[in-house]
This record gives sequence, structure tokens and C-alpha cells, in this order.
Amino acid sequence: MNLLSELQAVQTRRHFLANGSHLLGGAALASLLGQTFQQNALANGSIETHFPAKAKRVIYLHMVGGPSQMDLFDYKPEMAKWYDKDLPESIRQGQRLTTMTSGQARFPIAPSKWDFAQKGNCGMWMNDELLPHLAKSADDICWMRSLHTEAINHEPAITAMQTGNQITGRPCLGSWASYGLGSMNENLPTFVVLVATPSNREQEQAISARLWSSGFLPGEHAGVSFRSKGDPILYINNPPGVPSSIRKRTLDSINAMNAITHEELGDPETLTCIRQYEMAFRMQASVPELTDINEEPEHIFKLYGEEARKPGSFANTTLMARRLAERGVRFIQVYHNNWDHHSNVGGRMPDQCQDVDQPCHALITDLKERGMFDDTLIIWGGEFGRTIYSQGGLTTTNYGRDHHPRCFTMWMAGGGAKGGAIYGETDDFSYNIVKDPLHIRDFHATILHLLGFDHERLVVKHQGLDTKLTGVEPAKVIPNLIA
Amino acid sequence: MNKVISRIIATTFVGLLSSQAEVQFNRDIKPILADACFHCHGPDPGSRKAGLRLDTEQGLFEGDPPPIDKNDLAASEILYRLTTDDEDDAMPPPENHRQLDPKEISLIQQWVKEGANWEPHWSFNVPEKPNAPSVKRPNWVRKPIDQLVLARLEAKGLEPAEEADARTLARRLSLDLTGLPPSPDTVEAFVSDPTEEAYQALIDTMLESTSYGEHRARYWLDAARYGDTHGLHFDNYREMWPYRDWVVEAFNRNQPFDEFTVEQLAGDLLDNPTREQLIATGFQRCNITTNEGGTIVEENLANYAADRVQTVGWVFMGLTTNCAQCHDHEFDPITAKDYYAMAAFFRNTTQGGLDGNVKDGRGPAITVPTSEDAPRWDALPGEITQAKKLLKERRQHAQEDYANWLGTLTTSMLEENLPKEGLALHCPLDPAPVIKEGNTIDLGKEGDFEIDQAFTASVWINPRNVNKKVSVLARMDVNDKHRGWDIYQQGKRLTAHLIHEWPNAVIKVTTRNEVLEANTWKHVTLTWDGGSKVDGIKLIVDGKEQNLRINNKTLQPNQSIRTKTPLLVGRRSTGATFQGKVQDLRLYTRVLSRAELGSLADLGPVFKMLAIPTEDRSKEQQEQLFEHYLKTADRAYQEHSKALTTLQSERETIASRSPITHVQTEKAGLAMGDILMRGQYDSVGDEVTANTPEALMAMPEDAPRNRLGLAQWLVSPKNPLTARVTVNRFWQELFGKGLVVTAEDFGIMGAPPSHPELLDWLAVTFVESGWDTKALFKTIVSSATYRQSARTSSEKLAKDPHNSLLSRGPRFRMDAEMVRDYALAASSTLSPKIGGPSTRPYQPEGVWDVVGLPGGDTRNYVQDKGENLYRRTLYNFWKRMAPHPNLEAFNAPSREVCTVRRERTNTPLQALVTLNDPQFVEAARRLAETALTTTTSDKEALDYVVNRVLLRPLRSKESDILKSSLTDLLAFYESQPDDAKALIEVGDAPTSESVSPSRLAAWTMLTSQVLNLDETLNK
Repeated sequence: MNLLSELQAVQTRRHFLANGSHLLGGAALASLLGQTFQQNALANGSIETHFPAKAKRVIYLHMVGGPSQMDLFDYKPEMAKWYDKDLPESIRQGQRLTTMTSGQARFPIAPSKWDFAQKGNCGMWMNDELLPHLAKSADDICWMRSLHTEAINHEPAITAMQTGNQITGRPCLGSWASYGLGSMNENLPTFVVLVATPSNREQEQAISARLWSSGFLPGEHAGVSFRSKGDPILYINNPPGVPSSIRKRTLDSINAMNAITHEELGDPETLTCIRQYEMAFRMQASVPELTDINEEPEHIFKLYGEEARKPGSFANTTLMARRLAERGVRFIQVYHNNWDHHSNVGGRMPDQCQDVDQPCHALITDLKERGMFDDTLIIWGGEFGRTIYSQGGLTTTNYGRDHHPRCFTMWMAGGGAKGGAIYGETDDFSYNIVKDPLHIRDFHATILHLLGFDHERLVVKHQGLDTKLTGVEPAKVIPNLIA
Repeated sequence: MNKVISRIIATTFVGLLSSQAEVQFNRDIKPILADACFHCHGPDPGSRKAGLRLDTEQGLFEGDPPPIDKNDLAASEILYRLTTDDEDDAMPPPENHRQLDPKEISLIQQWVKEGANWEPHWSFNVPEKPNAPSVKRPNWVRKPIDQLVLARLEAKGLEPAEEADARTLARRLSLDLTGLPPSPDTVEAFVSDPTEEAYQALIDTMLESTSYGEHRARYWLDAARYGDTHGLHFDNYREMWPYRDWVVEAFNRNQPFDEFTVEQLAGDLLDNPTREQLIATGFQRCNITTNEGGTIVEENLANYAADRVQTVGWVFMGLTTNCAQCHDHEFDPITAKDYYAMAAFFRNTTQGGLDGNVKDGRGPAITVPTSEDAPRWDALPGEITQAKKLLKERRQHAQEDYANWLGTLTTSMLEENLPKEGLALHCPLDPAPVIKEGNTIDLGKEGDFEIDQAFTASVWINPRNVNKKVSVLARMDVNDKHRGWDIYQQGKRLTAHLIHEWPNAVIKVTTRNEVLEANTWKHVTLTWDGGSKVDGIKLIVDGKEQNLRINNKTLQPNQSIRTKTPLLVGRRSTGATFQGKVQDLRLYTRVLSRAELGSLADLGPVFKMLAIPTEDRSKEQQEQLFEHYLKTADRAYQEHSKALTTLQSERETIASRSPITHVQTEKAGLAMGDILMRGQYDSVGDEVTANTPEALMAMPEDAPRNRLGLAQWLVSPKNPLTARVTVNRFWQELFGKGLVVTAEDFGIMGAPPSHPELLDWLAVTFVESGWDTKALFKTIVSSATYRQSARTSSEKLAKDPHNSLLSRGPRFRMDAEMVRDYALAASSTLSPKIGGPSTRPYQPEGVWDVVGLPGGDTRNYVQDKGENLYRRTLYNFWKRMAPHPNLEAFNAPSREVCTVRRERTNTPLQALVTLNDPQFVEAARRLAETALTTTTSDKEALDYVVNRVLLRPLRSKESDILKSSLTDLLAFYESQPDDAKALIEVGDAPTSESVSPSRLAAWTMLTSQVLNLDETLNK
């Protein structure tokens, strides 16, 4: 640590400031110091990758509530014959159910009401009615039909999906990425969270700040929530009547005063404070440009859909995610709600797909056009899957589905994920996995691998233990998912 | 208290100087073994390799061959294993991530050579007063603390810093003891008389101030994970702020820390517990709970108990007991069995697994009356029992009077007996008119009630059909946002409305049950108590109070429900009309008692019964008639009944104005639990009895095996952990970090203490003082160590970068709450009010609703007005799923789980808060206003601001910077009057009109600069 020589350098520059123009101020001071410190700050925020990273950044689209795999991606033609017949006990095998259906007298099978067709050269079976745009990207996507988890209710399941553990308090994937890879820009946070508003809000689930907390990692690795209403970042806007020039003037003055404090007491934290006020100003300066989505050309709105003009829509959020990625944000976590279809799958699923279908395809296309697809990892999926049997009333056109942790489908694209791969298989009931089970631990290990880290070695001491995203159970990287 | 303090001051070191061994097992060797070896050779048999363990004395020195051979040290197996090139024998195995470096190997070699002296883990030994080390600068020493600190400094070739100046000391002291900056007068007084006596007096004044308890409580509430919501899923309101206030009060009255511990863990198990002791048990009810559909009660209860074990482990024992939830602890001697034996203490509760999304979490909870209400509240249960007894007795002895009454009974007598007091309107409507389209009854000015007017409206109705949604009786103007009130038919249900403005200022309730039938007479009544809460409204059908669904409760006390439109039977001012018959409409300007309502409802059936000859009346009819007699004609019964009603309504009234708080209550029977394999609630292993971990000191044989026994065990003078862990946390509050940095982990993998002797001295002193918290703080802040200047040097930064050696005074960025409180205090806008319901200050829009679920009661943030915007931050409403963003930015925890040490980061988001949050902008403006209106020149005004915030005069170069800034700001705002106006209108507090807007705006920004200085934000 060469803090001492840095401090001496500061002293020297202070002399220069004191003797030269005292009104140069702290902001200028910090700029003088800027390069070195900034580099250090970046270095502090990152550790060396274990091998070259394929993905430099991540856009994680989390579908809150748990999308129904057999209505979207896990094609089960056999089920047509099983309509309204009971799920065989040989399939259920005493599986733990939520208390929402554990009291049901019977478990009648609800075949998907939608037609499926094979898409792309990879021949992925997909819902042929609701996902026309995404189908065009079938060969860019790495399909994973055999995810599984232990958790059966939302809170623990989403926590497990994001932090590797059902119990709250661990760092989430975004925080690990921030911790491991550090920042790529000096104007924006490293890890940003965007919460999209679904067009249908029949059955939303809770999303709380704990999901993007840094757990036991330093707080700077927590996600910063960007909002679609009000200030994009809380408190980013100056009070009314304070233009940027006045803010600059006051910051100069604050930092000049702080420089004197540093001279008096020698506390290195004072220098950090000076840098953070500088960074705050740079954030203030860059966020309006970032959020001015109207500057996007017309063809972009064609690509993402007109919904992209509407603040907070999933299309708008996805486009914002691309803008953040472009500006060097490392990890962008998007949440889209209302996938918890205990009833009315028939009514809700079209709305949900309408929200996400075109923007997901657009994001892939857009990143390709910008040359960012290969090093941007896109992840799509929920916290668990849903049951083949109907919860509540069943007709051929409508039914409900309860939570199902034993298998569900997710997909990845770009960032080193293998386009056109179709991984894992479930039984005819989409109930149990019959080939290539993919535990969320393995999934996490694979994501870390794409980011350049051995999940066994990306560890942090917590309560005496080397703690890692993948926890204490064995986890493995899945080579078949990697390009 | 003075006695206690003098006793502490008189306490000196004990014991003899020991010879200092070169290598100490606990300090030098054990951390290496723990880090590199325990994973495979530690306490957890599950991961243990070769049956070898190096965490025990036996394991190290016995076996064949023993890892260390006491008889032939040089031939010890361990030395071979550490140095051999044979890959099969080398330890740690070459594939291990953790390898020993040469320095570590030579330390172990040296230790073995010197005799391999083994020590039990330091924190499991009962602390003793340490030996007094010799120091070169005895004059510097004020307290035994200083001698221990100085000895280490000298050993490292460092000198302590000079004493901080009087201003800095006064400020530091005030921030540490009260959490607030001192007043400039306090500082000046100390500056002009900076003697030891004055310093001690200053300490005493601050310890006596009520702000002291608020400040200490804030730290404790992090540990207790106190919050105002349940924390999971809906994250609805949880009412338990009386617990928060109890903590403040406990610190302020300097409750001995051992009692403080016992009451929070087992207040309910004490003999005849007081209400305060019950409130204290809220400590265990602060854990997050859920009501998520589909969750499994057993699993939830297991999680709640797990959280309590974790909390007690971190807060009192300094042990990460939670690690043993799934397996025996890898490093500390805590087995999974120990863990579930601990959990058993906390599972033996009457609490349910689902919180119901309601404020009492479905209990156990108690009502907490104010001190004025308390005597009556406590007397009422007895009085009510007595009144019920009298009523019952009268019923048993009334037969004779009843027979007499029956003999003389006429119908007009029945009418006579109906309630008259407060009768404002009586329309017999006999025979019953048929209400239909075009045939409603206009009752003009009747029923013109204001919200604060208690009233009763009762009427017999006989609806022709029960599919309608229509008003039965209404004084409501549809065209004026539905202002008014009504009784409303909602199909078969009954609804009542009190409306100021639909739908934002409304009370609306609906019967949960279907109560109306087609072509059937029903007696329906609405009562309103003239208060402001939704539970002041009731619907009674045929004398029975109905269970109500609350549809809307947005009406506020100051809003009006009066309207000019007339009272109508059958509809509102316009709209659909009721269809059916009505009779006997009555309005009263008070709430009728239950008995009175019964007599009204009985009237119809009784008339009918009288028409039946006595001998033909069924038993049921006879009983009904007797009942009616008692209620309407038996004076004695009526008096007893009225007395009972009065008592019951008194109880209801007190309950309605009193908060509730969550408490812990013990289930009958022995506290037992099951081992849950790998922590899974549904994989149950052996049953265990509640007990403390086996490897630690045992609970006394005769101690109760319940939470009380646990609490007494924790505060037993023989317990090696509790006092150490507690003094360490207090030290951390003052110095920014503990002597043991891992405040929650004193186990083998926790950080070793930087000053083990000092920690022990503090712990023993604390226990000897009778766990006297204020005395402990006084001792520490009186030390020379504490009084050091924070000024550092390159030498100190090199040798003591993190101030672990205490080579300078504490200086660090204040916690979130202090940052906000500081701005409020410096601008003289901080409210001095203590306690009460949590407050909702300024908060950006949309913070709660993004995470909230539809229908959740903490989804919409309704900002407070007036004083509550300026209360101490301790009182902020703490929504766990979305803590206040200006606190979160400064590392305030979410309070979902226990936090015994906060992080302290330095981020740009923090700068944005103190620069832009209206709370801080308004504070700047108000301080500027005061400065400008109480001084006569810019220089004076600037001195005022700086003195108020920094508590010192301005240095000349600082003055230049600020003046130059002011010139630019003035020039700008004079040229931009609109901007000036916009800026000074930030915040709810009215803007001073005696200062010109441009001047005030410029000074607001100038003041904001001062409030944003590193010096301001740091202690």
C-alpha cells in the first residue's frame, strides 16, 4: 500500500493550491488526485479473475412469481390424453406441496392450452402462439429445461435464486459480480436494479431491497435501484432552484474546505469523501443523458415496440438496461412481476408474453448490432416452475398452476452462453427431471465461470468461513452450456 | 451512583506480572490451526478426516502417534507433516487452497520448541483483572484503560496523540453520549473552564439527559432487529413501538445490564411480572414473520426460533451459534444438538406460525395503556368480573318481580321502557310504509351529524329483494363527493358509510355475514362514537353486533361529514331507491348500550308474544319475554347491566387509544425441541431438552430449563462471554470498532482481541459495578485514550493504519440517524419529544409502493405533517422491505435480522442525500433564516452558522472560501429570483418573509455547504 507517498503527493498539491489560486477548490483538487485514486478505487472494487471472462456484463431478467414452463418452453404433447386425469402417485412421489394445494382432493392434469412448434435450427419446442419474436432468437439462446431448487414459496425461492441460499442476508449475484469484477465506469453505479411494471397486475409477488443487498460484502456492492418514476436514482436531482452550475460551485467550496480538514487531521477518509462528492456530481451529470430515452432513433422503438416509450414498462426497462450496459454498468438486474399463476393461466399468460416477448428478442438483436452480444450475458427466468396439475378449477382453456420446484425452464444468451443448446429433459408430466438436472448452484457456478471466476475460489470470509455464492454443497460448472 | 463510580475508579490491577512467553498459543498458533486445519480436523465430526482433531488439548497431545509428543517435542508428528516433501504425508494436503507460509510454519516450530503450551480458547475462560504492565509515560495514564493501551503503543514504538482541544472533546462527548451535537453554549462554557471537574460535570449532565437513552437505544434496536413491519411478503404494519420506548427508558434509568438482559429474555417468567417486564420480552418478538399463502406453519416456527437463537448468539454470547443449524459447528464447540437445545428455549411459545398480516401478528400481544390510564386498565378486569357476577345474581332472583310485571303488562308500558336519553328523532311509521321508486320519506334537517358527534340510527326494515345496492337511510349528497352518512343495503349484507370525500376520506364497513333476507323484518342499527378511528363504527342487526370488514378507513378527525341535503328514508340525494317496508325509525345523539339496543330489537317479537296466551307460549318465548323484562323493566338488573356496559366500554375506550405491543409467553410444559436434520423443518431427528451448549459452563442443576434459566446463565458472573461481548459493543459505539472487531463472533474464527487484557479489565469492572452501563461509559470517556486528538501522522498511518492500537482519538463518519439528527439539531428544528408511534418524515415518492403488494397496509407512504417531520430519527417508521432511503444510503440495516455492527462506507449516494434530500435542504434554509434574522452583518451570520454546525470559530482561509462562495451565490440568486423562490420553499416549514428570497436562497446553499463538510459528517 503506497498510501504514504500518495498522502505526501496530496500535501504537495495542497501547497500548490494554497499558494496558487485558492478558488481552484476541492473539485479541482480531486481531479488532480483523480486518476490515481480512481484507479485505486477501481482496483479496490475488483479482484483478479481466475481465467479470462467471456461475459463482461450481465443483464438478468427475473420473472417474479415463477413462469409456467409447460406453457412456454417445456413441450408435453402426451398430456393432451391426460386432461382432467389425476397425476399418478408414481410421478408425485410424496412431493412436498404448498399448503395452497396440499388440501386439494385431487390433482387433475391440465395440459397446456397452447400449440407448440419447433423453432430455429436448434429445433427448440416453444409456445407457437405467444412468443413469435423470441422464436426468431431461438438459435442465439441457450435453453435450460432442467433447473431445480429446494424452495417452494416465493420469498425463500427468489432469495435462493438470487443469493444461493433461502435464508436472507447473503450477497446476491449482482453483488458478487460487482465484488469480483469491479466498476467499468466512473459516473454510474456498478450494479443497477430496475423494477418493471407488468401490464397485468393480478397476482404480484413482493420484491424487496433485500434481493439486491450486498449481504456480508461491503455495502458499495449493493444494487442501486433506478426508478422509472420520480428521480431515477434517489436524491440524484438537485433541489428546485439549484442548477448544475450552482451545484458545482458549492461542491468546489465543500471540497476546498474538506481539503483543509484533511491537512489538519490527516484522515485518509477525508480524501475519500472528496472523491465521493466528485463522483456524485458526475453521476448527476450523466444520469439525465442516460435516462433521456427519447434520443433513441425510431428503428429502436420499432425493435423494442412502442411500449418502450412508456416509462416502467418491460420494453422500456429492457431498453434502459441496454443503455446502462452500454455506459459500463456491470450488472443490471431487471424484475418483471405477475408470473404467479395460481389461477387464470389462460388469461394472464398472453399479457405476460406480450410484455416480454418482443423486448427480449429486441435486446438480443440490439446488442448484436452494437457488437456487445458476445460479452453481455442475458439471463431469463423465475424462481421456480409450476405444476402440471391444476390448482382450482380446470377447463380446457383455463386452469391454475401451483409452485413447482422440481423442474423449470430458464434461458441465457450472449456472454459465452452456447446459442442453440437445449439442455435437460423432464418427464412427460414436466414434473421430474429425467436428464441432466441443473441445480441452481450449478447454474450459479456456470454464470461465475462465464464471468471469469472459479466459484470455489470466489470466496469471502464471513463468520470464520470462506463463504461463496454456491454455498457448502458441491456445485459444478456445466460445460454444455458454454460456447 | 457516585459510590459505584468511585469504587470503579478505586479498582486497580490485580495479580503479578507474568513472564511473557515468546509465542502464545491463543494469540499466535490457534488462528493458524483454525484457518488451515480445523476444517478437516476440527469439532465437526461430519467433515473430520482420519479421526484426528486439533481443536482440543486431547487431540493435540494424545493418539498414536500424538500430533505433538510432549515427551519428545522435536520428534512431533506435526513438525514432520508441516515440512515434508512427501505429497502423501504433507499437511495441509497440497491440493488444499490454504497452505501455510514459512513464517507460520516457523511460529509453530518455535511454539513446539518452547514446550507447546496449550490454552483453552481465550473467550471461554472467565475473565480476570489483568496484571498492570509497566509503562514509560505513567503521567499520561488517567485510568487503568490507559495503562493497558499505552503499554501496547510503547511496545510498537508509538506515542499516544495529544489530548484533543476542549471544543473537539465537548463535541465528541456529546455525540457519543447523546447522539446529538452539543449546544454552542455548552461548548463555550467548557472552553472557558476546561478543568477535570468541568469535564466530569459535562459527562454527568450528558448521561442524565434523556437523549442519552435514545442514543444507546438506537444501537440496541439494531441488535434487537426492531422494526415497524412484519418483514416478509405483505410486510404489513406491526405495532410494537412500546418495546422501542421501553429500551430508551431502560437506558435512561440506567437499568443494570443483567436485569435488562433477563427481562428481555424472560420477563414473562419472572414472579408477577410488571407490564414493563412483559413489554421487554418484545426483544424476542422482533424477528421477521410471514403470512404468505402456502407457507408451512412448522417451517415458519422453525425459522422464527432459528432467528432467536442467532440473535441471542450474536448479542449475548458472541458466538455464531447459527452455524450449527445444519451441522456441528466447524470451529466452535457447538453441536447441532446444542443448537436445537438452544432453539427449544425459544420454540416453547404460544406464538403462531402466521402473522395474519395484522398489527398484533395474531399475538401474543398486550395493550399498553398510558400511565394515566394504567390504574383503571388494571382495575377493570376485576370490576368487570364483579359486575357480571351481580348481573347473574339479579337474574337468578328476579322471578318474583317478573311475575308481578307480567300481570300488569300493557303494550304502552313496553314503549315506556325504551331508551329516551338523547332521542333526537322517533318516527313510528305505523303502519309500515312501502318504500319504492318515487316514494321515499324526506326527514329534512334531521340527522345532520358532524364527525365528532356520537350517534345511533336504528330502524326496522323488510326488504323486498336482496340483490339491491341501495341506501336504506341516508343523509348524503351524491353530487358533493358523496359527503354525509348512510346505512346501505349491499345485497344481503349491510354497509355503513361516513364520507367527507369519496373515495379518499371515507370510513366504510360491511358486515362479514349475510344478514338480510327477502321479506323478513330485521332491526338494523348504526352507531358511531364520534371519534376518528374505524373501530368507532358498529352495525347491529337484531341486537347482535356484527363482525365487520373494513373497506375504507381514510377519514381523518378534522374532516367534515356534514351536508345540506336532507335525511331520506330509502335513498341518497339521488340514485337508486330501497324497495321494501320500514318502521320505527329512531335517531339518538349518543351510542346506545348493548342492552338498550337489545330492547329496541326485541320490541317487535315481544309485541307478538304478548298476543299469545301465557300458557301457549313456548319455553323459548317465555325466556325471551323474561329477557325483555330484565332489560327494560327490572331496575336492579338494568343498573347492574348499565354498570357492566360502562365498565366494558371504558375498557374498549382505553384499548382504542392505547397501543399494543408484542410479547413472549411460554407454552405450558417442558421446553423441548427436535433436531432438524440439515436444518430442514420436515426432517426431524432426536428430541432434545432446552439447554445451553454443553462445552460451555453448565447451567446450575436447579436452574429452570426455560428462558429464565437461560437468561440467568447468560448473566452469571461465571459466564465468560456476556460481559465481554457487551463491553466490546459499547467500546465499538465509542471507537467505531470493537476491541474484538467481529463483535458477533468471539469464537475461534472471530478476530482475536486487539487488547485482550483491556477487554477483560472492562468486563470484570462492568460486572463488579453491578452491570452499571452509565458508569462504564463514564470510565471510558474519562480515559486519556478516549480524549486523544484524532489527528494522525504518516508514521501512525503506517504503523497503525486502522487505529487498532488506539494511537489516536476516534474519528469516523457518523451513523445514518446521527447524520440526520445533527442537521436537525444544528438548525434548532429537532423536536424534543420522546417516544410514541413511529413517524413518517420526508421520503421520496414511490419507495414503498414498488415493493408493496396490493392491499398491503404499508404500501402507501403518507408523510407526516408538523412536528413529526423533525423527530429524532430513532422514531422513523422502519419498513423492513423498504427502509428509509436516506438511512439506507448511510448503511442503516434493514432490521430484518440482528445487526451488532454496521458497515461504514463512504459513497456518492450519501453525498446526494445530504445535498438534495428536502430534510437537509430545509434544515439548511432554517438555520440560514435564524442566522440572518438574529444577526446584523454577513460576518456575524456566517459565524453563527459555522458556530452552530462546527461549534468553533471560522479560520481565515475557510472564511475566504465561504465568502467567495457567498458572493457567487448571491449574484446568481439576485439574477434568478424564480430559482431563489423555488429553493427556499423546499420543505413544509413556512419560509421567513423578513429575509429577501435571493439572500435567503444564497445563504441556504452556503449553510448546506457547511452541513455537508467532512468535519460535520464525522464524529
